[in-house]
Amino acid sequence: MTMTPPRQKVDRDEVFLEYTKSICPVCKTVIDAEVNVKDNKVFLRKRCAEHGKFEALLYGDAEMYFASMKYNKPGTYPLETQTEVKDGCPLDCGLCPEHKQHACLGIIEVNSGCNLDCPICFADSGHQPDGFSLTMDQVEAGLDAFVRSEGEPEVVMFSGGEPTIHPLILDFIKMAQDKGVHMVTLNTNGIRLAHDRNFVRKLAELKPTIYMQFDGFDPETHIKIRGRDLREAKQKALDNCAEFGLGVSLVAAIEKGLNEHELGDIIRFGIKHPAVKSVAYQPVTHSGRHVEFDPMQRLTNSDIIHGLVDQCPDWFKLSDFVPVPCCFPTCRSITYLLVEGENVVPIPRLLDVDNYLDYVSNRVMPDMSVRGALEKLWSASAVPGGDGNTTNQLECATCGIDLPEALKDIADKSFMVVIQDFQDPYTLNVKALMKCCVEEITPDGRLIPFCAYNSVGYREEIREQLSGVSVPTIVPNATELQPVLLTTKYGSKMFGNGADGEGNGAADGSAHVPADATNVGKTLR
Amino acid sequence: MSDAVQDPEDVKLCCATAYQQDAVALILGESYHPGGLDLTRRLGRALDLRRGQRVLDVASGPGATAFLLAAEFGVAVEGVDLGDQSVASANAKAAANGLGDTVRFTVGDAERLPLDDESVDAVVCECAFCTFPDKATAASEMARVLKPGGRIGITDVALDPNRLHDELKTLAGWVACLADARPVDQYVDLLADAGLKVTQREAHDDALARMIEQIDARLIAFRMAKVPALESIDFDTARQRVALAAQAVRDGIAGYTLLIAEKL
Repeated sequence: MTMTPPRQKVDRDEVFLEYTKSICPVCKTVIDAEVNVKDNKVFLRKRCAEHGKFEALLYGDAEMYFASMKYNKPGTYPLETQTEVKDGCPLDCGLCPEHKQHACLGIIEVNSGCNLDCPICFADSGHQPDGFSLTMDQVEAGLDAFVRSEGEPEVVMFSGGEPTIHPLILDFIKMAQDKGVHMVTLNTNGIRLAHDRNFVRKLAELKPTIYMQFDGFDPETHIKIRGRDLREAKQKALDNCAEFGLGVSLVAAIEKGLNEHELGDIIRFGIKHPAVKSVAYQPVTHSGRHVEFDPMQRLTNSDIIHGLVDQCPDWFKLSDFVPVPCCFPTCRSITYLLVEGENVVPIPRLLDVDNYLDYVSNRVMPDMSVRGALEKLWSASAVPGGDGNTTNQLECATCGIDLPEALKDIADKSFMVVIQDFQDPYTLNVKALMKCCVEEITPDGRLIPFCAYNSVGYREEIREQLSGVSVPTIVPNATELQPVLLTTKYGSKMFGNGADGEGNGAADGSAHVPADATNVGKTLR
Repeated sequence: MSDAVQDPEDVKLCCATAYQQDAVALILGESYHPGGLDLTRRLGRALDLRRGQRVLDVASGPGATAFLLAAEFGVAVEGVDLGDQSVASANAKAAANGLGDTVRFTVGDAERLPLDDESVDAVVCECAFCTFPDKATAASEMARVLKPGGRIGITDVALDPNRLHDELKTLAGWVACLADARPVDQYVDLLADAGLKVTQREAHDDALARMIEQIDARLIAFRMAKVPALESIDFDTARQRVALAAQAVRDGIAGYTLLIAEKL
């Protein structure tokens, strides 16, 4: 006689943390999503009625994810919003009245053309015959919308494509400055800065801060991310910037298994180069064009921070990197260093940043001016270096920690390190997106949160508007999607079902932003 | 103890004066005790402070503990400190923040507290008990001013002096709360002898490690800044001492402890 063993209940292998919304990475329909913690990692999972279940890594260290929550600062209303709430987040960008934060940083992509054809490019740019190039009027319309929304905007970044090859780029920078934008930054691959000293000289008269792609030193890193070995060009561009007095932030795109090991080398190089005031590390954004990846194995902010601590143990510990309170705190972490020769001191070791930037526990505020200074330093609008906007704040923050007058020249010794993870169609979390403070400024006068712009379909929509050429909805180049992916004419991927193999998109040019299909407009009875 | 300072009274004054000095204030920074505001908050909760109670802060320094307890727990705080400059600036800060009615600072000695018997509901003493040369008297003074059933909350350095490195047994070590600190059990006994029964003890060694790290970072920053007030400091020697202190924490020789005791 056999006995049936009693059935045992089984525990789930994850902790359910948050309920939110996201999009289907294939059709971009807005769908419900949940955030779970498993093996001390944070994952976002969602299910599209048509395309099935998707899961992606949000944060590689769940403890750090939890710890970051206290750095969540109340948002600020912009002076003006540009759209109405109609379909709900993320379909009303933007900014809509429900957005939780004003824009710390506005990006204007002045063209889609580029002098490189990188295998990795969230903007899907390159030597393309059918792109766009903004006119003075279009840039002015965007800047005016930004000024109406912000009053005196903190930072405008000109990007592309490759903005340095736009014939009007110097005029654009000047126009932004004339309209009262405090800081202008220029996002470039550095090629023109390496080869056109006359251009660098003219640029230096306007003194924008240069954000230069700089992914590492291994030839393989260059080939895999940029398609060419650009080491010599990068060095030359930096030397030219130093010679003409332009401050540079190195921007490193970090891809899992490719250049993670170069995190420490990049900052060691940056600290020594006279032009470099900052390093920004960005896990490769799996929007637009990129190499095949596994969403469960991607890099996140906490992975970059762990990597830096491992590779520079004499300089860093995990707690030196503080989440940024203006955006959602899991999106960006920053530290500042004082550097002199071999001596490196992370500023969070000099004062208890938590005493000022912990918005949950602190009811007693010892010194609001120090908090104000730290908020400006730990912000998406912080621009490093002598011509940046962090100098005065560093002086103010350090007077709060009793660092003496003698540190007045602190800007010369300070160095900023930024870690920023952008969302992609897999990781898009509406909860974080609603407080995004980095916006794409479009010529039709909208301010669209950067990660919505890249993931939801706005980029395709705007490019179509500006170029007059139909653009397909871009789908992440994820390993699990390989069987249904086709390559677009720009090198990115699109869904293969029903579209032609040339990647010309839907023939009817239908909307790229489908309506919500879950939990909207339904009642139980 | 240091060879340079033998008389306990001198030590006490020297310690209090040192805390007022620019150099020491610069190096120790805003957080005069390990654990910062978070640990003070925890201490307040462990004491179960109630709105309207009267609390004594022994060795109140610049007043950070007193301000937090007043603002977050709604208590009135009496701060006592040996340094007249600390007291004056803390009173000025209280007035500037509109707390002049609830927080008050007085110059006074922990071994002769200027308060009546059984006049306060709770006593706090953060990172200072270890520096009192006559700890037994200080403990009985705190017990004297406490109402029956009242509680005392101490956060302090705890260590085994016999295992401490010689170089830390200098005045600098004393000022930094290391050289006359005792093992936790001795604190418990000292309090018991004064009629204070320890009901709760917690280890917060990380807070001490973090503060030592902060001191080291500030030393590097000051060397970069070439601060005139610190011209006479031998930074390399200072950093070696700091490294010894950090090692002592790692080795379990030095730690930071939170004690709650009740007046029987």
